[in-house]
Amino acid sequence: MYLYLYDSFLNHKKYGTTIARIETKLTDMGIGGKIIRLSPLRNLKELIAEEIGSGVKTVVVVGNDKTINEVVNAVTGQDVVLGIIPIGPDNTIATAMGIPTNEEACMTLAARIIINLDVGKINNAYFLSGVHVAESTVEIHCEQQYTVIPETSQATITVCNIRAGAASSHQGTNPQDGLLEVSINQPNRRGLGFFQRKQSAGATLIPCKHVIIKSKQPVSVVTDDLRVLKTPVTINVVPGALRMIVGKNRSF
Amino acid sequence: MSMFKKDEYTHEVETVIGPSVKVEGDFSAQGNVTIEGSLSGKLRTEQHLTVGSEAKIWANVVAGSAAIAGEIQGNIKVQEGLELASTARVFGDVKASVLSIAAGAVLHGKCQIGEEQRSRPEKPGTGAAEAVDTEATEQ
Repeated sequence: MYLYLYDSFLNHKKYGTTIARIETKLTDMGIGGKIIRLSPLRNLKELIAEEIGSGVKTVVVVGNDKTINEVVNAVTGQDVVLGIIPIGPDNTIATAMGIPTNEEACMTLAARIIINLDVGKINNAYFLSGVHVAESTVEIHCEQQYTVIPETSQATITVCNIRAGAASSHQGTNPQDGLLEVSINQPNRRGLGFFQRKQSAGATLIPCKHVIIKSKQPVSVVTDDLRVLKTPVTINVVPGALRMIVGKNRSF
Repeated sequence: MSMFKKDEYTHEVETVIGPSVKVEGDFSAQGNVTIEGSLSGKLRTEQHLTVGSEAKIWANVVAGSAAIAGEIQGNIKVQEGLELASTARVFGDVKASVLSIAAGAVLHGKCQIGEEQRSRPEKPGTGAAEAVDTEATEQ
């Protein structure tokens, strides 16, 4: 049994035709199911738990990266498969998963290539793409064995599970290797004042399973562009915790 | 090889410590490691280690193979080849199967290169030594 979760932005009339085409295609392919339109007033976790209890085996997100990231927290560790029908802009996760947009995604859904993906866990919340720390002074403790210290406060730190939008495995992380990737990018500023140019100095990339980010002053840590937490945070990888329908052209 | 096999890719786990990044502690990796910043503690990788010209390492190093252009203060033990570039500065003992040192490289320490097995002098009256003696007598 399929459950389709429509993001609230799809209520806009410009998506009407696309939604109609998708629904026709799903019915033609015999994979139609219950449709629920999301709204900020609904508790997504409770809603999905209720539907799983009533026999739903496949949860399909109809929307973009933000919708997927919201749903990942509710379905990780549950006995369901996650599918995606990407609509509109900001669909980098779907691109990495090899899923085409709009009604073409129905074919991928029907083909049901299911793989187990790693999911990141920050404190008690799950994330699919990554965690981002804005420019600030932090210490990154990895594997309880060593500490990585960026020497400037202008470093941008990310802990990635999937580098969304990556066109190939060489650009992105592999969400099936049981590792997260800590990356530290430091702009190399050249010139003075208004003429100052930012250039990316050599990036740091460290694959690891367990990360603790600490700082003297609390610093904001953003997960999947959704939740904002404050340091210290503990990040782990949960290998194969999410079962997902992917396309043949995925990047890993 | 199967003709239906998906395009093969090798996702090598690569670790890079960039410039302006300091690592403290026991750093161990399974894939290739590149160090451009600084590291203190221990460093271990089963694969190739690259140490950039600006890198500074205060650690004992164990690696599969290594190419060093920066500074290392500590002992280096490499399973295969060890390359010291002209900018390399090594203060510690070195153990490797093969060592290549470019002109200008600094190396202060003991070197142990190649296999550890050494042949023993053969006793008179046995094996090759006897054969050589016989040949000499015939001439």
